[in-house]
Amino acid sequence: MHELYMIVSGPMMWATCVVFSGGVIYQLGRLLRLLLRKERSLLSYMSLRYSLRSIAHWIIPFGTLNMRRNPLITLVSFSFHICLLIVPVFLTAHVVLWEEAWNISWSCLPGPVADGITLVVPAACIFFAWRRLRRPEVRFVSDPADFMFLVLVALPFLSGFYCCRHWPGYEVVMIVHIVSGQALLVSLPFTRLAHMILVWFTRSYMGSEFGAVRHARDY
Amino acid sequence: MMSKALIPLAVSAIVFFCLAMSFAQEDHARLDNYVFEKPAMPPALFDHDAHNEKAGIDDCAICHHVIENGKLSEFETSEDRPCVECHGLSPSAENAIALRRAYHLRCKGCHLDRESGPIMCGGCHSRGV
Ligand code: HEC
Ligand code: HEC
Ligand code: HEC
Ligand code: HEC
Repeated sequence: MHELYMIVSGPMMWATCVVFSGGVIYQLGRLLRLLLRKERSLLSYMSLRYSLRSIAHWIIPFGTLNMRRNPLITLVSFSFHICLLIVPVFLTAHVVLWEEAWNISWSCLPGPVADGITLVVPAACIFFAWRRLRRPEVRFVSDPADFMFLVLVALPFLSGFYCCRHWPGYEVVMIVHIVSGQALLVSLPFTRLAHMILVWFTRSYMGSEFGAVRHARDY
Repeated sequence: MMSKALIPLAVSAIVFFCLAMSFAQEDHARLDNYVFEKPAMPPALFDHDAHNEKAGIDDCAICHHVIENGKLSEFETSEDRPCVECHGLSPSAENAIALRRAYHLRCKGCHLDRESGPIMCGGCHSRGV
């Protein structure tokens, strides 16, 4: 277990960081190249003001018309994304590991709160899967990979919850936890999960196009 | 008939077993965590003498060190002073290694070096399961 833990938390973690940040840089570079090659005209009307206006509306719960029309999916989707980002950063166990390795630390979520919001993520994944199966308009654009991503996202949270409880066999589950988290990070820049990086540009483009050209709202 | 009579017997055996287990758990010595304001974890398992014997540590200075001018003192030890006296709770310029980190570096660090002893949270901060 010691050897496995050291490999997974040492070289594999470094490799994950390299691939993840390399992937993010690659995506940004690709976007910039495409922009310069094919859509140079865009540059003439890209607007910081309309970009920020669009991002602000889309980042605030119920900030757009579509969100207000579909309150359930808005609620689940926002809870999902907020928990997805907050849990890994503010979980005591993660803060303690940052402190151990780099001598930096910040405040942590209280245990019961962390437990609760950890489970929001897999719960939301189940909802998304259900929705993909049930709603024809979503099923039409779903393929098996979409369900695989839901499993991939839920896995680190479920296994992490298991380890936090110190349930039997949690040492092995801890390895699953670390590796599944790394798989998530590695696949992020190269799959549809890249929307984490790209969404800001999508909004910026849509905001500018609607604001500066069509004089309309994109929210 | 027979099987019905066995049920209460089995139930009480299980209850007794669980109780016995939970009392057995209580026996594990733990390292006092009273200095931490609001402990987030159960105190760490650490049976001082038994641990050091099992791990074959006889140099007290491995844990109870005295550091002078950045160098480990060869002759002095500090077992008469709790770690918190030199490693304050929150990190600062004078307190380079805060208490929680000092413990983790020392305890987990050695367990990793020797590839023996707990390295995951639950191995030390056991919830007694
Ligand atoms: C693996 C690390 C380790 C080693 C080795 C070790 N100790 Fe300790 N010892 C501790 C810790 C941790 C404490 C608790 C310190 C605190 O509360 O700040 C402690 C506490 C003590 C205390 C105070 C006990 C009390 O109840 O207040 C004494 C005395 C002591 N150790 C003596 C020794 C002697 C003598 C040796 C060498 C034979 C030794 N220790 C080796 C870790 C160690
Ligand atoms: C007499 C004061 C004193 C006591 C008591 C003390 N330390 Fe230290 N410790 C220091 C000093 C000074 C340093 C060096 C800090 C620096 O590098 O800035 C240090 C460094 C450390 C380090 C990092 C360097 C290394 O040796 O790996 C660890 C880990 C550590 N202490 C753990 C402990 C633990 C655990 C205890 C209690 C069992 C303890 N210390 C008790 C003074 C003390
Ligand atoms: C110098 C090395 C060293 C240091 C420092 C050390 N340990 Fe250990 N520890 C060991 C070794 C080696 C074992 C495995 C002993 C065995 O099972 O043979 C061990 C085992 C343990 C175990 C499991 C005991 C058991 O009965 O299975 C616990 C719990 C533990 N250590 C806690 C701690 C804590 C808490 C500290 C810090 C205060 C600490 N250790 C510091 C070397 C160390
Ligand atoms: C090798 C043993 C060991 C391991 C592994 C370990 N710790 Fe600790 N930890 C200690 C000791 C010893 C202390 C100080 C005394 C105590 O809490 O009993 C401590 C203190 C703490 C504290 C400060 C006291 C409190 O309860 O708020 C936190 C938080 C903590 N550990 C979290 C963790 C987390 C999270 C992990 C896993 C990532 C972890 N520890 C792994 C030994 C360990």
